[in-house]
Amino acid sequence: MTSPTPFAGTPTFRATTRDATLALARRDLLRFVRQPARLAGTLGQPLLFWLVLGAGLSPSFDAGTFAGGGMTYTEYFYPGMLAMMVLFASVFSTITLIEDRDQGFLQGVMAAPVSRLSIVMGKVLGGTMVAMIQASILLLAIPFMGFHIGPGSVVMIVVTLAVLSVACTGFGFLVAWSMESTAGFHGVMMLVMMPLWFLSSALFPLESAPAILKGVMYVNPFTWAMILLRAPFYGGPLECFADTRYLTALGITAGVVLLILWGGVRRVKRREKGLPLARG
Amino acid sequence: MIRIRGLSYVYALGRSREGRTALDGLDLDIAAGTMTILAGPNGSGKSTLFRLLSGLALPSRGSVEIGGFDLFAAPAQARALLGVVFQSPALDRHLSVEENLSLHGALFGLRGRVLRDRIRESLSWSGLTDRLPDRVGTLSGGLARQVELAKALMSAPSVLLLDEPTTGLDPAARRSFLEQLARLKREREMTILMTSHVFSEAENADRVAILSQGRLLAHDTPAALCGRLGRNVLVVNTPSEERARALLPSVAERLGHSCVLCGSEIRLELGRDEPPVPLIDAVLDSFRDEITGVAVREPTLDDVFVHLTGAGPGTSPFVPKPQMDLAS
Ligand SMILES: Nc1ncnc2c1ncn2[C@@H]1O[C@H](COP(=O)(O)OP(=O)(O)OP(=O)(O)O)[C@@H](O)[C@H]1O
Ligand SMILES: [Mg+2]
Repeated sequence: MTSPTPFAGTPTFRATTRDATLALARRDLLRFVRQPARLAGTLGQPLLFWLVLGAGLSPSFDAGTFAGGGMTYTEYFYPGMLAMMVLFASVFSTITLIEDRDQGFLQGVMAAPVSRLSIVMGKVLGGTMVAMIQASILLLAIPFMGFHIGPGSVVMIVVTLAVLSVACTGFGFLVAWSMESTAGFHGVMMLVMMPLWFLSSALFPLESAPAILKGVMYVNPFTWAMILLRAPFYGGPLECFADTRYLTALGITAGVVLLILWGGVRRVKRREKGLPLARG
Repeated sequence: MIRIRGLSYVYALGRSREGRTALDGLDLDIAAGTMTILAGPNGSGKSTLFRLLSGLALPSRGSVEIGGFDLFAAPAQARALLGVVFQSPALDRHLSVEENLSLHGALFGLRGRVLRDRIRESLSWSGLTDRLPDRVGTLSGGLARQVELAKALMSAPSVLLLDEPTTGLDPAARRSFLEQLARLKREREMTILMTSHVFSEAENADRVAILSQGRLLAHDTPAALCGRLGRNVLVVNTPSEERARALLPSVAERLGHSCVLCGSEIRLELGRDEPPVPLIDAVLDSFRDEITGVAVREPTLDDVFVHLTGAGPGTSPFVPKPQMDLAS
């Protein structure tokens, strides 16, 4: 009842947020490579996209030039495809959170003295790494797509995809945390992510959309992420950072990412509380 | 070391505003360096208490201090002192034994050499040291349980919370695990709170706490609890549980005592200073051919539990172990 009893012999340790995050992310990655079906699906998907792109590159598919300016539609669609893959890979990687809870694993992590931020970031980093493995395979197609871009742009594209992935895993985390079943998570996510992607200028340009749709597209944070992603395909870092539209998109995206992560940490910190007692 | 005051927890039940009270104004003090066994019928609130003690949920009311830290105000400090084994498994089945233990160690800031030593140390009591590379999913239930326990030891906690840790362990592993606990308590002054349904485990504990419907019924040393019952127990052995069940009413009626069914045994508490011989005579007189034996023995914790929780015929969750029949 007096002062805390010092633990004889062994000092008590606590992991730093960074160490705990890395340990949890590493575990997610290990789990990923241990599940052959998941691994095959992840590596197969971008290869499938490669095939689609290959077909699209043939002249018969791209007979005329695309409404968006002097480019072909395949060229226009390529960044959208990248984004889509990262979007779905990231969001659905957080399904493992529901499995973790069902299998009791999460309980053990929650009872450990790790910062709640590292619980969020561990999952986000794990999901992002998996998504980026996929994205890299698809990125190898760049030289064959008729893009002439420098290393600076490649770095920007990779970083943008990673940021996008962080946002999507963060969002998936938030939803998965309150979800009881993986089936429910699938349903909700398809319902939310599909329209987000359709109305993000990944499929068709913002400029050519009807006015009402345009309004919707402007409030869709994914549209801004697409602006970020597309820019380095057509200009180096210097040009991008001189463009106010690019900077606006950067600000909005950063804001959304921070908001999502903050929401995630808040959600994890909130502990279930017993109902108030009925009688006085 | 652990100080629980007025702890209540009410679960929400669907949409109704009425909840289910799992803990009801619990007061409990656990002294540093002691081992306490928490017993109680199914649904008495033991796991709920563990959820609160490990900082996973906030109570409806009440406070908990662990090592002087307010668990609900400073959860991180309190958590750093804790090692927890939950009733439900908490290992990653896709990871190996070693990976599971390393991960848990890493969450407590262990790395490198210390981490490797700790893994060895926390498995030393078990038969698992050569199964480090095996995936947990390929281990048998009892072996996985042993890894679970090793995991809780990874952080060399000053307080160990164990929710039915020994379910599924074979007798040798169980004994070995209890010995390890006793050693940790002795050498490291660990404070241990453990739920158990096996009372032979409780006999070596410093304290036994009995919980029923979210309330503490008793909290004392095993000897004092048995002493408090203060009466001997008459045990009638029968060949089978069905036979015991069938005999129960007639035995109770013949002896004029209320009796309790425990497996294939029929038990009754003697009155204070009541001589047992007339009862034994009566049993032999009427049931000689249907029973396998009759004996009088001192009360065990099992009897105390049945007495306190009023577990009625057949409802006692404690299956008596064979050696109990021999005790007298
Ligand atoms: N998530 C929940 N929602 C509603 N009620 C619950 C929930 N979890 C437990 N309860 C109820 O709270 C009471 C106490 O449950 P608890 O799990 O703490 O019991 P226990 O003593 O651990 O039992 P056992 O010996 O079976 O493990 C029970 O009536 C149980 O049904
Ligand atoms: Mg329980």
